[in-house]
Amino acid sequence: MSTTDTRSSTSAGGGETFAQVQASDEFQGLKRTLRRFVFPATVLFLAWYLLYVLLTAYARGFMADKVVGEVNVAYVFGLLQFVSTFAIAYVYSQYADRHFDPTADAIRHRLEGTVTTTPHTPTTTTTTTAPPTIDLTSKTETRA
Amino acid sequence: MTGGSRGLDLVAVVLVVLATVGIGTYGLRLARTTSDFLVASRSVTPLWNASAIGGEYLSAASFLGVAGLVLAYGADALWYPVGFVAGYLVLLLLVAAPLRRSGAYTVPDFAELRLGSRSVRRLASLLVVGIGWLYLVPQLQGAGLALRATTGAPVWAGAVVVAVVVTVNVAGGGMRSATFVQAFQYWLKLTAITVPAVVLLVAWHGDGRPDLAAAAPPVFPDRTTVQLDETVRVLVEQPVDVVLDGRATVLDRGPHRLERGSTAVFPAGARVPHVEGLAATSGDAWARPLSGAGGAEHPLYATYALVLATFLGTMGLPHVLVRFYANPDGAAARRTTLGVLALLGAFYLVPTVYGALGRLYAPEVLVTGRTDAVVLALPTAVLGGGPLSAALEALLVAGAFAAFLSTSSGLLVSTAGVLVQDVLGGSVADFRRATLLAVAVPLGLALPAVDLPVAQTVGLAFAVAASTFCPLLVLGIWWRGLTAAGAAAGLVVGGTASTCATVVTLVGAEGDGWTAALLAQPAAWTVPLAFAVMVGASVATRSRVPADVGRTMLRLHAPEPLVLSPPG
Repeated sequence: MSTTDTRSSTSAGGGETFAQVQASDEFQGLKRTLRRFVFPATVLFLAWYLLYVLLTAYARGFMADKVVGEVNVAYVFGLLQFVSTFAIAYVYSQYADRHFDPTADAIRHRLEGTVTTTPHTPTTTTTTTAPPTIDLTSKTETRA
Repeated sequence: MTGGSRGLDLVAVVLVVLATVGIGTYGLRLARTTSDFLVASRSVTPLWNASAIGGEYLSAASFLGVAGLVLAYGADALWYPVGFVAGYLVLLLLVAAPLRRSGAYTVPDFAELRLGSRSVRRLASLLVVGIGWLYLVPQLQGAGLALRATTGAPVWAGAVVVAVVVTVNVAGGGMRSATFVQAFQYWLKLTAITVPAVVLLVAWHGDGRPDLAAAAPPVFPDRTTVQLDETVRVLVEQPVDVVLDGRATVLDRGPHRLERGSTAVFPAGARVPHVEGLAATSGDAWARPLSGAGGAEHPLYATYALVLATFLGTMGLPHVLVRFYANPDGAAARRTTLGVLALLGAFYLVPTVYGALGRLYAPEVLVTGRTDAVVLALPTAVLGGGPLSAALEALLVAGAFAAFLSTSSGLLVSTAGVLVQDVLGGSVADFRRATLLAVAVPLGLALPAVDLPVAQTVGLAFAVAASTFCPLLVLGIWWRGLTAAGAAAGLVVGGTASTCATVVTLVGAEGDGWTAALLAQPAAWTVPLAFAVMVGASVATRSRVPADVGRTMLRLHAPEPLVLSPPG
């Protein structure tokens, strides 16, 4: 509806610039970096859970062993699933901060140079308003 | 059931309702335009937003349902909370950032943007509304059961209270107010479930730490009175002396019918008769994964299917995706997700405690089959009445109502948002009408009682989402070859298969053996089926790949500042 319509018209004006960016080695490299991380990470993490379920099927006695008081191995592993979920998300977050954002910034700066020569306003406006928002949140992040 | 503290429980419910409406009204002043209603302005900080997501996500299934399933089915039920949390990781890795960049607020928006097809959009809208309703029904049912268990009010009362409060709140304030309300609800729920758990554990310690996984199936710890609010069929494994409606009698080995409205008094130490369909389980099997505790069919398959449904279904839940737009950028979205994982993980440590203690102290829920009631029954069962147990019970009721209200509000905002965009006009007045429509249907469905525990119904909503929106989003974002025809075919096949399985399970006609396992946990076959149909049909119609797929893909994957613009 209205939301998507407005947005497609916004991007339509910058079509040529976008096409150039898409063709650039930098953008293609960024996409590669992203895919090279996201897909193996997803597969590995799903495999880890499915394998864990399978292991419990073959290590029943072990799973029932008590660790502390009433808490058995199965329960401890259950808790570790929460920990591993958080750990993968944390690693992804760090990786994205280190590898995606700097490249994205570099492409943006390059595009800003390009954009000033083309008479296209919507993209320029958004490009210039975005950085302050990012600065603001990165401060919030360090506090949180 | 827990007589002495009825007044206090009611006060707790009223306080939560007042706080919800109060904070909602405070947020009302900030809601002005349609876009404010649908997505709060992007000024929400990651921690605030993570609390709101957690608050909205922790539903009746999490607060009451998980403990009940742990009690009945043992270690395998732990996969419910693990999957509820891990679904956010899949969402983060595969979907969150590209979808944010696309500017599509909802899955129907995304479908139209990516495939340029109004019909796929309408199909997706239909599914959003269906999943929203399927998820709302157990919330309202949970409310009815909770209010009855604690105050003796009829089942419809709790459902109606929750339906009315969320309708007023959502129709009045939209998501901006919801953000405040939800963040508050998360911390209320965490407190409400943790404080009683600590007290109960201390009491269990003081009780000489009786074995939580004793060799024998559950027995009544004390002389126990069971009120039957519905007619149930129970299976008695050892003859038991029971006082049924004041008359002493013996229930022999075998099935027995206990009439609605009757009262059964069981002596201390007697084996607990289990409701039909729930098998009595030794403590050893209960504590061991994949043992088929509770009579679960094909536990290895069921666990895999549950893992798939929850991991892949989270991204397709109507109230989950929209929250990610409240982040100003991708880095904040990642921080928010980390926060969500931590907050949800912290919460889900606790319901297991209730499940384990409930097996020991409140096994009477196995007679009625209403295992969702165990959380609320435990304070009285462990502490034996008195002001402390009354206070803890009131706290738990408050937390439970926070869960019903917050999840229902989130679902209602999203469902009504899709209804107003695709069915009605799009003005603020239409949003209010859409809200009424969005709540009326699930309320109608919740009133005739369904026997399924709330967490299982919610699990089915996840399965439907995983069988429809997961392939649409994942293929739409990562595969250029997806066509409108392929997406439509996949949505129809995945949606039909998972919905049929859901309906059959909800009406209790799933049979037994493999049929029951495949229908009660359909995701393991419906998700691959939907993916296969979507890919196959897209390849068959590959001449119809949208011409502007290159630009759309750039928009989804380009660095954010290029495409970030304020929501219209």
